[in-house]
Amino acid sequence: MKTAVITGATSGIGFETASLLARKGFRVLGIGHSEENCLKAQERILSENPDAKIAYFWGDLMQQREVLCLSRDVAAYLSENCDGELNVLINNAGCVRSWYATTDEGYEQQFALNHLAGFYLTHGLLPFLKKTKGRIIITGSKSHKGIKVRWGDVMLSRGYNPLIAYKQSKLCNVLFAKGINDRYAAEGVRAYVVDPGLVNTDIGNKKTGTLVKLIWALRKLQGVPPTVPAKTYAFLCEQEKAPEGLCYYLCRETTYSKQVTSENASRLFALSERLCGICYGREAAV
Amino acid sequence: MNVLITGAAGGLGRAFAAECGRRGYSLFLTDINREGLLCLQRGLERQFNITVTTKACDLTNAESVNDMLELIDRHSIRFDMLLNIAGLDFEGSFMGREREKIIEIVTLNNAATLRITHAVIQRRRKGRCFTVVFVSSLASMFPMPLKATYAASKRFLLDFATSLRQELKEQNVNVLALCPGGMVTTRESMEGIAAQGFWGEVTTNPLETVARKTLDRALDGKGLYVPGSLNRTLSFLGKLIPRSIVAAVVYWRWNRAQNRWLNPAKE
Ligand SMILES: NC(=O)c1ccc[n+]([C@@H]2O[C@H](COP(=O)([O-])OP(=O)(O)OC[C@H]3O[C@@H](n4cnc5c(N)ncnc54)[C@H](OP(=O)(O)O)[C@@H]3O)[C@@H](O)[C@H]2O)c1
Repeated sequence: MKTAVITGATSGIGFETASLLARKGFRVLGIGHSEENCLKAQERILSENPDAKIAYFWGDLMQQREVLCLSRDVAAYLSENCDGELNVLINNAGCVRSWYATTDEGYEQQFALNHLAGFYLTHGLLPFLKKTKGRIIITGSKSHKGIKVRWGDVMLSRGYNPLIAYKQSKLCNVLFAKGINDRYAAEGVRAYVVDPGLVNTDIGNKKTGTLVKLIWALRKLQGVPPTVPAKTYAFLCEQEKAPEGLCYYLCRETTYSKQVTSENASRLFALSERLCGICYGREAAV
Repeated sequence: MNVLITGAAGGLGRAFAAECGRRGYSLFLTDINREGLLCLQRGLERQFNITVTTKACDLTNAESVNDMLELIDRHSIRFDMLLNIAGLDFEGSFMGREREKIIEIVTLNNAATLRITHAVIQRRRKGRCFTVVFVSSLASMFPMPLKATYAASKRFLLDFATSLRQELKEQNVNVLALCPGGMVTTRESMEGIAAQGFWGEVTTNPLETVARKTLDRALDGKGLYVPGSLNRTLSFLGKLIPRSIVAAVVYWRWNRAQNRWLNPAKE
């Protein structure tokens, strides 16, 4: 039985992907924010599919100490129940903000959750992925195009614009995937980015201001249901031979920003390692 | 530049700490939340490669403050700037609140702030300018029914800062009072501001900009900073309109906002 870890698996895209993979016979380990939402999601999946192999873990992925706890808990679970093997890691949890707000580390929240949390969690789970030549899938977005990473001020504390901060975090997703492939494709671990398209979820309504809520309420009506992008994740998980592309939309390869170069990917890797206090290549042994 | 920041682990404190970090200042951070301090210390060191020292301390407790001062003296740390960020705010009517909670507001916002300010100015670095920032509030400009204690405690800080500024001018100390509108510092404040609707959002100041401009102004010798042009207009109007009318208007507005916040189901 193959195992998949999915963050943000309590609602929207993450929930539908968890549910779909469980139906396809994966053992699914979901990660969510609150105990309450996790238990609800688990119940919903089990009520539709009583045979689903599903377990949930919860914590605030914005705070690094909680990411570390989660990655240790998941690691322990994998060692105990899955022969220390992980086939797929889906870094999907994400947020939108209307204001500059920081985490306990003093990091900008969208950068911290949308990029750093996945970077940190992947580091913790990489040894398990290596054992299966596993795949990492990150939820990106078409909106990563048309901007550059502001290297001198990645937290965007000068002239903060929440939309730019979101776009930059999504560009970081693609750069991170590129960085993983540059480093680990030779060992069989590959990373992909899924562009889910415009999806009808509640992401724009959580902890945002009236203006963002209003815009999102109108915009999301044009979105597809989250069951649509879920298929692209399942596609990437199920291909016998690892697909060669980097970004996927509706189960097909899609284009990405010219900013996605090995040089920028390395630069982001080094910066993120420093901000997380970790070093890829020195993962814990399984 | 050696800077001591109180209430450093909160939203506004973190924004000030990050701003100081960007400028390469050395930081001494204190807060009652020990774990938050350690997280912030790590984050600042990783981002800016600066020296950060932390000490958890309950500013309302003289003994706890003395422990911190002892640590400061033991390492002969001397300061160029003090940012008094620690402060408390509870919403609600005077009689509707727990008695001790009300006392807590004044104890922290006023008594504790004076204690630490006195102690840190005594520990200023010799032969250099010194800067003190007090975080007052836009609320200090108006009588604020339903936030009476809080607003009065902020008024205290505003008046105190103005007087102290005069007293210490000749000793090369600059004192600035910051009077921001709402700021999105905590999850509750995000919800609170959303509940106030339009007026809540337009009087909200962006944290990162407030931190930067406050430091610019304080170092430039200014004494008062009301961020945002709308807030400056409001504070000006507050001076023209009779205080009893302001109080009635504020009461009406807060009462509605609080009902909306506390009973969202009615909408
Ligand atoms: N919707 C779109 O049109 C669209 C387009 C492009 C990309 N995306 C991306 O898709 C991803 C998923 O978004 P969605 O639209 O499915 O939104 P969603 O329904 O809000 O899902 C977000 C998930 O992340 C979790 N989460 C949020 N903050 C967290 C935290 N601090 N710690 C741990 N978990 C947290 C949420 O849990 P709680 O609900 O319990 O907070 C939820 O399970 C995001 O990365 C987003 O950027 C979405």
